[in-house]
Amino acid sequence: MRSLFEWVDALPSSIALRESLNAYPTMLTIHVVSMCLFAGLIAYWDMRLIGFTLKKVPVSNIPTRLFPWALTGYGINLITGALLLYSQPMRYYGNFYFWAKMALMLVAGINMFWFHYATYKSVQAWDQGREIPLNARLAGVVSLVLWAAVVVTGRMMAYSGLMPGWWNNLNIGA
Amino acid sequence: MLQSFFEWMQGLPFSAWMLEETWASPIIQCAHLVALVGFAGAVLVVDMRLLGRGLIKTPLNQLAREMDRWMIWSFVALFVTGAPQVLSTALKQYYSPFFWWKIQIIVIGLLFNFTIRRRVAFAEEGTLGHWPKVVGFLSIGIWTSVSVYARLIGLLS
Repeated sequence: MRSLFEWVDALPSSIALRESLNAYPTMLTIHVVSMCLFAGLIAYWDMRLIGFTLKKVPVSNIPTRLFPWALTGYGINLITGALLLYSQPMRYYGNFYFWAKMALMLVAGINMFWFHYATYKSVQAWDQGREIPLNARLAGVVSLVLWAAVVVTGRMMAYSGLMPGWWNNLNIGA
Repeated sequence: MLQSFFEWMQGLPFSAWMLEETWASPIIQCAHLVALVGFAGAVLVVDMRLLGRGLIKTPLNQLAREMDRWMIWSFVALFVTGAPQVLSTALKQYYSPFFWWKIQIIVIGLLFNFTIRRRVAFAEEGTLGHWPKVVGFLSIGIWTSVSVYARLIGLLS
């Protein structure tokens, strides 16, 4: 894995991105704005499942009407995130929060697919005016917590001096 | 006058504590970002509806009233988590053009929201012609600009 990151780090296009004055601020700014689009809409979907808000909106309306926008935000977020990683792979390789963020995104994705292919199939029975099943509410809580943690670990990536002691002892970035 | 106010803020014991306490700044920045997501979602759900997208089967005024409290409370959270950051880096903010642009656009955004946007979003649907689309477009533009300038304070100041 390390040799892959080192190989990318040495690529001329990675160096060009890294040395560009405007590339990093531009990519990071688009990354944050697209995060607002994606995470902002997903947060209200999760809160609808939990029963915090939008109770008069049928549950099935949200994936149909809001997910295309949320996924557009996610797509832009993934592209800019990949470019940020491509431009400074060795900066992120030894960063605990980077790997924590990747792991959290993976778990959030699994939770999303599990919900979609299991619990959501019965949505017609609890679409509106009925109590949302415990499984769906739990999936909402898990999703809300996981995406908040993704946002937090993403921000913490800038604090390379605040990584856990046990991680530093592994000397991964050395 | 304004510069001495920012120098006073920078010199406060709280500002020194924020800079000295290792975890204070990261925790507040993370909370600020989570609040931003909450705010952005509440704004977008209504703005997309104003643009004729998103939750079009739900009446606009019902959606706007429901999202209003989320928008206000997440803005309060943004302010509560943003103010300590301004206090602890007051002089950096003072000399950053992005900070001043951000503040100006926030003021415009708040005035716009509590006057025009609210009036249009709470109005009976179908009575305002193309205005909802114009208002939704402007609202997205205003708050996107705020988050862009906010990000640039940290990156280019």
